[in-house]
Amino acid sequence: MKVVKLHEGRSHEWLVFGRDEERPSKIIDTNQYMIKTTNHTIMLDPGGIELFSAMLAAVVHHVPVNQITHLFASHQDPDIISSLGLWDKTLPHAELYAPWLWEGFLRHFGCNSIRYNPLPDEGKSIRLDDIELQFIPAHYMHSSGNFSVYDPQAKILMSGDIGAALLPDGAPLFVEDFDAHVEKMRLFHQRWMPSNRAKKDWVRRVRQLDIEYMAPQHGAIFKGRDVQRFLDWLDELEVGTGIHQ
Amino acid sequence: MVFAMRSRSKNSAHFFINAATVAAELSEVLTEAKNISLEAMNAKALVARAGDNVRTFKPITDFMVELANDTILLVKEINREALVLSRTSLNELHSSDANIRFAKAQQKASTALYVETLDPMAREASNQHHQQAVQLKRHMRKLFELLDEIESRMLAANVVTATSRLEAATAADSYQASLEGIVVKLEKAANRIKHIATKCRRSLER
Repeated sequence: MKVVKLHEGRSHEWLVFGRDEERPSKIIDTNQYMIKTTNHTIMLDPGGIELFSAMLAAVVHHVPVNQITHLFASHQDPDIISSLGLWDKTLPHAELYAPWLWEGFLRHFGCNSIRYNPLPDEGKSIRLDDIELQFIPAHYMHSSGNFSVYDPQAKILMSGDIGAALLPDGAPLFVEDFDAHVEKMRLFHQRWMPSNRAKKDWVRRVRQLDIEYMAPQHGAIFKGRDVQRFLDWLDELEVGTGIHQ
Repeated sequence: MVFAMRSRSKNSAHFFINAATVAAELSEVLTEAKNISLEAMNAKALVARAGDNVRTFKPITDFMVELANDTILLVKEINREALVLSRTSLNELHSSDANIRFAKAQQKASTALYVETLDPMAREASNQHHQQAVQLKRHMRKLFELLDEIESRMLAANVVTATSRLEAATAADSYQASLEGIVVKLEKAANRIKHIATKCRRSLER
C-alpha cells in the first residue's frame, strides 16, 4: 500500500493510502485518507473489507490504533465502508460520521460498538483538536445521501466519488496532465452521477471554497489550478447518461 | 468419532448452508409423523370397534400414538437446533475471517512503529474465533444426538411393525386386512423418516 503525506501543518497532517499492489484483481482501486491531529485521528472512506488487512497494516506505521477516534463514510458503497464490521472490532470506542440516510443500511456491515453519528442532509462541521472539518452535502453525486469533507486550514477537499477516474494499475497518485485525465473521468461521471441539477448544486457549493487539493476516492488527486479546471469541466458535463431512448 | 468431528469442522464454510438445508428436509419428516399420528387414530378406532377380537392390538396403537407425538416434538427440536447451528456456523465463519484478517495485518505490519497496538484486537479476534468454534462443535454434537435419537426410534418402530404383523395375522378375518393396511402405512412412514434422518446426517457430515 502506497502512503503519501498530502499536508503537514502545525496542528495536523493528511495522509493518503492507495495503489495497493496486493489488491485482488477485479476490485476497483481506492484511495483512503487519514487526518491526524494532536489527539485524534479520523479515517475518511476507510475502504472495503478486502482491503482491511493492508489498510490496518499501513495505518500502524503512522499512528497507534487506539488513537483512531473517528471514521467517515461519504456514502454506503462497499468499496467505501464494507470494512466497517472489522473496524468495529478494532475501534470499539470510535465514532462514525455518515449520512443519516444510510444508517440502517450501513449497520448491515456490522456496527455494534462504534457510535454512528448521522449527518443531516444540510451538512455539519466538527472540531478535532485545533481543526475544523466541514461535511459538505454532495447528494446524488452519486449516492442519494452523500458528503464531501472540507478542511479549510489545509485547503483540502475530500470529494468522495466526485473527480474519480478509472486508471490502470500503477498510475500516478496526482493528476499530471489534466486534458489527458479528462477522458479517464468522463464515463465514470456520466454513468455514475445521475442528476445534472445535483451536479450544479455541488459545483456551486464547492466554488465558494478555497481548495488547494481535491482528493477523490478513486483515481488521481487534483492540485492547484486543476481543481478549478475540474469544476469547469464537471459544470459543463452532461451526466445521467445511462438511459437510452 | 474424532475423525468425523474433525472432518465436520473442517468444512464449516459450507456448514451453514447444509444446516439450513437439514431444517428444510425435516419438514417432510413432520408430514410423515403426522401420517403416523393419523394411522394411530384409525387403529384406535378399529380396535375400539373390534373389541376382544383384536385386544392384543391395543398396546400397539398406544405405542403408535406415542411414537407419532414424540417424533413431532423431536422434529421440532431438531429443526430449532438446525437453525441455531446454521447461525452458529455463520458466526464461526465470520470470526474465522476476522481472525485471519487481523493476523494478516499483523504480519504485514511487522516493521511498523505501532505494530504492537494491533495485539489486543488480534488476541480478541483469536479468542472470539475459538469461542465460536467451541459453540459450533457443541451445537453439532447436539444435532447429531437428536438425529441418532430419531433414527433409533424408527428402528423401534420397525420392531413394532413386525410384532403388529403377527398380531394382525391372528386377528379375525374381517379385521385382518384393515390392520395389515395400518401396519404397512406405519412401516412406510418409519422407513421414510429414517431415510430422511440418514440423509440429513450425511449432508451434515459432508
